[in-house]
Amino acid sequence: MIEVKELHKQFGKVTALDGLSFSAPEGQITGLLGPNGAGKTTCLRTIYGLLKPDSGQAFIDGIDAGQQPLEARRNIGIFPDKFGLYERLTAREQVAYFAALHGLEGEAGDQATEAALQRLDMLEIADRRATGFSQGQRMKVALAQAIVHRPKHLILDEPSRGLDVMSTRILRELLRELRAQGTSILFSSHVMQEVAALCDQVVVVAKGKVAAQGTTQELCELTGESALEEAFVKIIGTDEGIAA
Amino acid sequence: MTNPVKIVWRKELKDAIRDKRSVMAAMSYAFFGPLLMAVAFYVMISQLTDPSDVEIDIKGAEHAPALIEHLNSNGIVQREKAWAAGQQPITLEISEKWAEDLAIAMPAQVTLTADFSATKQRGDIRRIERAIESYAKQIAYIRLQMRGLDPRVVRPIDMVRHDTATKGSRAAILMGSVLIFILLSVFFSGMNVAIDISAGERERNSLELLLSQPLNAHQLVLGKALAASSFAIFGGVLSVILIPIIFRFLPLHNIGISLSLDWTMMVLIVLMLVPLALFATSLQLFVSFRAKSFKEAQTYISFLLMLPMLAVFGVEFARLKNPVLYYLPLTGQHQALLDIIKGESLQWLPMGISALATLLVSWLLIRFIGRMLASEKVVFGL
Repeated sequence: MIEVKELHKQFGKVTALDGLSFSAPEGQITGLLGPNGAGKTTCLRTIYGLLKPDSGQAFIDGIDAGQQPLEARRNIGIFPDKFGLYERLTAREQVAYFAALHGLEGEAGDQATEAALQRLDMLEIADRRATGFSQGQRMKVALAQAIVHRPKHLILDEPSRGLDVMSTRILRELLRELRAQGTSILFSSHVMQEVAALCDQVVVVAKGKVAAQGTTQELCELTGESALEEAFVKIIGTDEGIAA
Repeated sequence: MTNPVKIVWRKELKDAIRDKRSVMAAMSYAFFGPLLMAVAFYVMISQLTDPSDVEIDIKGAEHAPALIEHLNSNGIVQREKAWAAGQQPITLEISEKWAEDLAIAMPAQVTLTADFSATKQRGDIRRIERAIESYAKQIAYIRLQMRGLDPRVVRPIDMVRHDTATKGSRAAILMGSVLIFILLSVFFSGMNVAIDISAGERERNSLELLLSQPLNAHQLVLGKALAASSFAIFGGVLSVILIPIIFRFLPLHNIGISLSLDWTMMVLIVLMLVPLALFATSLQLFVSFRAKSFKEAQTYISFLLMLPMLAVFGVEFARLKNPVLYYLPLTGQHQALLDIIKGESLQWLPMGISALATLLVSWLLIRFIGRMLASEKVVFGL
């Protein structure tokens, strides 16, 4: 379970996080929905232990990411918003590198890598260098890197940005499968359709704090609107920075 | 579990070896540097030891056949070809009263007309002057002997030139410039790799993900520094091996220089280059981790390359002789290399201390870069 408690973070005069609290339980896909600049990325970076919050804590299965960042990171898989690949390494080598960084080496590393590549149906491109990979193939490599160590938590930052239809389908399928296996999945997005299609629980973030929380249906009921889009606009009070 | 440093090192090395640009950069400097040097030396040596005849215009040769014969045997001959454009003619004119003056023991006159400031002709002019002086001396001795005097009375002082310059120390002047190449090879060879694994990593948007993996920032930096240093050492080893081979083809013995580096010395030089390589790459990483792109890092690093050049050339030309130089990073290795080339006895303690100082500074730099990468400002540019 990923738990965020009362996060505060200030960059100069800008308040990025203003008492953000939510949790992403096991076996669920939690969507972090908010307009650009709402504090989504800052929140995720705090969970990775890359940013130190001014106050508050982020827990991965009870491990404080601020205190023990390495321990916390061992238990999460990260699918970043911008994934740069090492152009001169093959897909297999890239995935194996991340497996090794998570302590999976030698035979265990080979097995984990093979399993991840197989899972994403990318054995055909496994031994090709990343130069010339299509956007979809690149996404697969990044996904394989994120799940190679079989993390109990998966965090995706704006995952479907710039993906084609096929890639998006593969991604959604994988997420549903991981959910069934009991992974807690945290999914940040500013695209409403995506969140509505995938998430069990939606956390609407605006100005660094939770504006509303619940299932898609609950949010609609809460605002008395029939569509999530209208509900969302009503919750954050503006339609700036949201994509339909 | 394997140390993450080793994992990073292995991956970066594999990545870099596949980068043709990095490999070419490492090799070409080590290869072309000494080669360029060799060509320069070759030209210099052939100018210094020019054995060809000096061809000049001689006027009035018919007045003094004996002098002409003496000049010819000293390699000074009548010019047949015209003077090249831009070259000042050298003319030796023998007075028509030559035989007459000699007969009555009056100074006979020869006139040497030339541009005495022309550097290229200085050697030729000197040879002509010397040939005429020696001819005059011969005649003087004969005249004294004919008058029953010991010719030694006009040579009150006998100056014996005793050259203490060993072959090695004369070589040192020349080899000083070669040393600079060896030292700089370490800075040049790992440069491309250092930029690629720092600014390049940031540019291709993989730095943040890498920092979110379960390893410390300083482990990451150390792994990267070791990978770039491996390249730097590779370039250093290559130049240490190539320089003696290339110089074997130069006629260094013609100017009284012998350069012999046996393999123990070569191993010693390589050992000295190891801490220096780490120092060079951690400096480069420090600079290029701050850059946002490959291009930006290249700009910074080209300024950084001035540092070793200034240190080495500065010491060389200012003829600095301060014992502190033996203990510092970079200058310590430079001094030790000078001693090796000159064939002087090695100062082991300063060598050891400078190696340790170099390692220490590199280690501090790596820790500092690690701290820098843990900072929000540097990573996210906040």
